[in-house]
This record gives sequence, C-alpha cells and structure tokens, in this order.
Amino acid sequence: MRTDVREERLLVISDLHLGNPFSQASQSLGAFLDYALERRFNLVINGDGLEILQADIGTLAHASAGVVTGLRRLLAADRRVYYIVGNHDIALEHLIGSWMGDHICPFLNVRSGDQRIRIEHGHLYDPFFFKYPRLYELVTRMAGPFLHVRPELYTFWTRYQQLKGWFSGKLSREGVQQPTPFHEGAEMLLKRGFDAVVFGHTHKPEDLPIAGGRYLNAGNWVKGGTYVEIDHGEVTLKSWNPKQLTG
Amino acid sequence: MAKKITQNEFERVCAPGEVIVKEGQAGREMFIIRSGRVTISKRVGERETELAVLGKGDFFGEMSLLEGQPRDATARAVRETKLLVIQPGGLLIRIRRDPTFAYEMLQKMSGRVRDLNAWVTRSLASGEGAKVPEATRTLVGFSAVLPAEEPSE
Repeated sequence: MRTDVREERLLVISDLHLGNPFSQASQSLGAFLDYALERRFNLVINGDGLEILQADIGTLAHASAGVVTGLRRLLAADRRVYYIVGNHDIALEHLIGSWMGDHICPFLNVRSGDQRIRIEHGHLYDPFFFKYPRLYELVTRMAGPFLHVRPELYTFWTRYQQLKGWFSGKLSREGVQQPTPFHEGAEMLLKRGFDAVVFGHTHKPEDLPIAGGRYLNAGNWVKGGTYVEIDHGEVTLKSWNPKQLTG
Repeated sequence: MAKKITQNEFERVCAPGEVIVKEGQAGREMFIIRSGRVTISKRVGERETELAVLGKGDFFGEMSLLEGQPRDATARAVRETKLLVIQPGGLLIRIRRDPTFAYEMLQKMSGRVRDLNAWVTRSLASGEGAKVPEATRTLVGFSAVLPAEEPSE
C-alpha cells in the first residue's frame, strides 16, 4: 500500500456517495473526469466515493457504472487514480482494493513542488464517529431508507449543519466560528511537517489558514461539485463548471 | 532553542551542524522534522558512517522513546532545522488526536524489519549465515527455519 507519493498535477474530489438517492454525482462527474483526462491530471477520490452504508449493492452498481467507465478511460491513458477509504465505503475496501491495487489507502501524503500535502477523508476526527461508532453506524444506516423515500432530507441535514456552525459563531465571545474538531485534527497534522491538509467528510468546502499552513475541505459531489486542484505545489479549492471542458 | 507548542510537545530549532542526539547517550524524546534536513549516522569501528538523510515530515528517535534505551545513532542538522519534539506521554496524546501518525510509525518500522529480513536472507544465501548473530535471527523470525547449530569443538 502506497501512502507517500510525488504528484505534480492532482485533482481531489470527496464524498460522491454514488448509490445514495441524494447523490447527483453520477450525472455530473463524467464531464469532470473528461476534464482530468484532457488536462492530464491524476485523480484522488478522497473517501465516500461509493455508498454502501445507505444503499444496496444493486443500486450502487447501477449508479456507479458511468463513473467507472470514466475512471477506466483515465487509467487507460496512464493517469493514476488513488482511492482513499471513507466511512461510507469502508466495507468495500477489499472489493475496491482488488481493482485499484496499491492505489487504495487510508490517507495519502503527497509531495508536489516543494509542498507536502496530506489528503485524508477526515472521519477519524468526527467526534460522533469516534466516540460512539456503533450508534453512528446505526443512525446512518437507519437514515438510509428515509433518504430513499425522501432524498430531500439531505437538504435538511445540510441546513442543520449550517445553522449549527452559525450558532456556534454567535455563541462564541468573538462572534467568529470556533475551531471544529476537523480544524484541530488538521492543526495536529500541520505541526508535523505538512504545508496543507485536505479533508472531505463534512461536505462543506473550506479553505482556511491554520497553524502556519492551510486546511482545505474538498466539499462534495452530492449537490454541485467542488474539488481541490494541486498543481506543482499550488493548492486551490475550486468549483466545477462544465464549461471548463474545452474538448 | 525550544518553544513549547502544547503541554507535551515543543519545537526545537537547530543550527546547521548541530548534534541533535548522540549515539550512546540517554534520551526519551522522538523528533519530527518540520523543516530542514537531518543526517543519521552510526559509528562502525573507528569510522562514522552515514545511514540516512531525512527531510520534512520524517521522524527519528522513536526507538529510545519506545524502549528507554540509549540512542542507537547520531542525528545532526544539515542546515537550520525545526523539529517537533515529542515526549513519551505526549506520544499517546498525539496518537489519540492524530491517529494516522501511529499508522505511519508502524509502516516505517515494518519497512525496516523487511529490509533487515532481506539482509539476513542475503547473508544466509551467501554462506555468511554464521556471522548473523542469533539475536538478529530471532528478531526477524528466522530462528525457526534455521538448522540447529553444530556444537563448537
């Protein structure tokens, strides 16, 4: 398993949740993969690319068919695709591993230009996940059938997360948002020689200066699409626009 | 120069050429290179032999931290180097807050055992097996497959 790589041109996407009824990734990702191919980028799927916690294998197979074809095109053109395991696809680790070989990993340390960048899904810093792992899994699984009936519940969940962030800012003395456990996790990593840390998991795209380095979150492809571009050490959070594809 | 970062970790800035730890000396901290470059060397007979050059993100000194044994090699800053210094109690706190660090440490140590296995295998294949100390054979799991040694006359 390779966790240390040198890559000059890399695109990082997180949280596709292919197979989950609320995910629109299967419709929007094809053009993005063509863009990666056209611009000669290698690709990192930074966790929760596939959904098995809230979907069955048949739905997953159907939803991921187009994306798998796009990934095959990248691999056929000698592009590299790395798959980082998240919490919604961890049960598929062996299956993905049989296809990806040593390009599936729990995290990736990337050297690009003179920068050292950590790419990791980030669920290990989620207090609910590590304090109550069984309850977390139970609640997530139980939400699955509701999402199949009412996919718009996902929108309520994201609104709830936004409100939670807004209230924590209002309640703090300075009126600014307090560092989240994800920011604190990133800070621990930055202290040991990383210049930037890229997480996913929260679905919230972010780019913040922390502890002399940078914390970025690649966001999600459930609604819309955000990604992190790494080009010779320059790390940028971007929103996907299909017009970027010129070919 | 040392600057406290948390209760259990601090930053040390080393000048070019400064010895960070010396072979044989007591010490319980490990170090992660935040910036700069460090050489690791060991005394072999009368000569100082360079074993490795480490850069940003690499770590060293973990053997003394884990085992409480004297330093196994000398570490020297090549240029101005910033180090994160971790003490034994601090390692557990770091692993709690930064769990992938434990994975990276085990990965590095597993690589070293693999290299040592390869070296022992090469030594045995070239007929120099008798020179490989028994302790090393046991360490790398070869004792079970080796024929019993003939009693010395």
